[in-house]
Amino acid sequence: MIEIKNLVKHYGDKKAVNDISFTVNDNEILGFLGPNGAGKTTTMNIITGYLSSTSGSVKINGHDILEEPALAKKAIGYLPEQPPLYLDMTVDEYLKFICDLKQVPAKERKEHINTIMDMVGISAVSGRLIGNLSKGYKQRVGLAQALVGDPPILILDEPTVGLDPNQIIGIRKLIKQLSKNHSIIVSSHILSEIQEIADRVVIINHGKVAAVDTIMDLSQRLSGTSKILMSFNGPAKDVSARLKMIPGIADVYIRNAGNPGEVEITLAPKAGNDVRANAFFMMAKSGWPILEFRSLIPSLEEVFLSITAG
Amino acid sequence: MQAIFKREFLSYFRTPVGYVAMAIFTFISGFIFYTQFASGYVSISQEIITLRALFIVIVPIITMGMFAEDRRRGTEILYYTSPIEMFSVVAGKFLAAMALYFVMFINVFIHMIVVSACGGAVDAGVVGSVLVFFFLAALFISIGLLASVLTDNQIISAIVAFLFILVVQLLSVIGNYCGTAVSTVMSYMGISSSARNAANQAVSGFIGWFDPFTKTEDFSIGLFSVSALVFCISFAIFFLYLSFRILEKKRWSQK
Repeated sequence: MIEIKNLVKHYGDKKAVNDISFTVNDNEILGFLGPNGAGKTTTMNIITGYLSSTSGSVKINGHDILEEPALAKKAIGYLPEQPPLYLDMTVDEYLKFICDLKQVPAKERKEHINTIMDMVGISAVSGRLIGNLSKGYKQRVGLAQALVGDPPILILDEPTVGLDPNQIIGIRKLIKQLSKNHSIIVSSHILSEIQEIADRVVIINHGKVAAVDTIMDLSQRLSGTSKILMSFNGPAKDVSARLKMIPGIADVYIRNAGNPGEVEITLAPKAGNDVRANAFFMMAKSGWPILEFRSLIPSLEEVFLSITAG
Repeated sequence: MQAIFKREFLSYFRTPVGYVAMAIFTFISGFIFYTQFASGYVSISQEIITLRALFIVIVPIITMGMFAEDRRRGTEILYYTSPIEMFSVVAGKFLAAMALYFVMFINVFIHMIVVSACGGAVDAGVVGSVLVFFFLAALFISIGLLASVLTDNQIISAIVAFLFILVVQLLSVIGNYCGTAVSTVMSYMGISSSARNAANQAVSGFIGWFDPFTKTEDFSIGLFSVSALVFCISFAIFFLYLSFRILEKKRWSQK
């Protein structure tokens, strides 16, 4: 578990991080989002002990990163934006070196390294110099070093940068799998990726937390009650008038008439009302066939843009 | 510390750095030994004393990348985010450079064996010279390491280390110049010659006190002084500690 309380980091007069507080629960994937320069990397660097905060506290499984740094750091695996790789070492040598740094017992090292290399798919290149590997492989070696020592907390800054689509899917699956027994913070600019894997998201903007919630709750909060898109065959004005008579519907907007005879409208229900069944039966009774009927929940991208705009 | 030592030591041989340093050292020591051998009189102590002049070239080469390179390629984050003490990183890198010096020095050990085999003497003076060589190496490597901590640029780090070592090597000369300068200024002020001489001696003596070469010059004739070795090692530890503090401070930087 990670507990971040009132974190502040000054760079001269600029507050890179301004009173950030949030927690990451056990076995949870937290998406960490924000525009460039919002303070994501600074926050992650403070959590991992690379930077110090001006004020505030970071507790890793109950250990303060400044007061008990060795215990706190042992519990963290960190993949920074630029993987910290020694290009003059082979993958195997590098992971052995990381085992030394993270104090993995000598007896367990060989098996531990083999397991991690299999997990991230780098066994085939274990004997090659890191400097000669492709960007995708380098990224995976960086991910492997974060997994060394089996830390219960993983902090991954842009873990899929440089990977091809197949590798991205592989790493996504791996992160999902790891979340069964790890707390994970993932920062990424690929919002669809976060939408797919994260249990909750923290969005920061100008160094402040702009939102913390599940993606679904954020979307619904943004849209109020989910709007409904409906397309049908029938007279637009009549349908609109009939729908407005259904209790719980606040408004009806005619969006466009696409194909001849096909009308698209948006229903805006009043807060806390589910009007789908009533709308369906009304349309059926009137003999106006529904061609499409779905909730309009804003995507994470729309949520992100709405929160970070301006 | 062992992990850092191993990585750093092996990295000298994965890059040209270790080979360049060894080539310079081996060539110069070999040349000195050959010249002496050809003249019929070999002094290992003299060879070692001459080799000390190479500190100013070799130390910047082997220390310039110690921290500057880690910062450039982003690997320093490993040290800060691992459950190890930053001082053990400093110590590991320092010991790796010392070990490289030891490897380079094997050439001189071979010269000693050749001298012994030819009936020459490897006496207390030689032992003293070897001892002083490694203590001075420790002092200069710690200076080079500090220079590497101070800057992100390897070239600037090498130049800073070069200048630091140059100043230390010229401390006696600098002391004499400063003493004379003070004496000259005092003469313009109309101060008596006895006071001027006293000031001259005090200034040159004070600056000269920091000269490790003067402090250790008797080792080559077999006269050992523990205080001279303590002097070298104390300053080496001071520079290493200073490097550690600067690295720690960078984490707290607000700029």
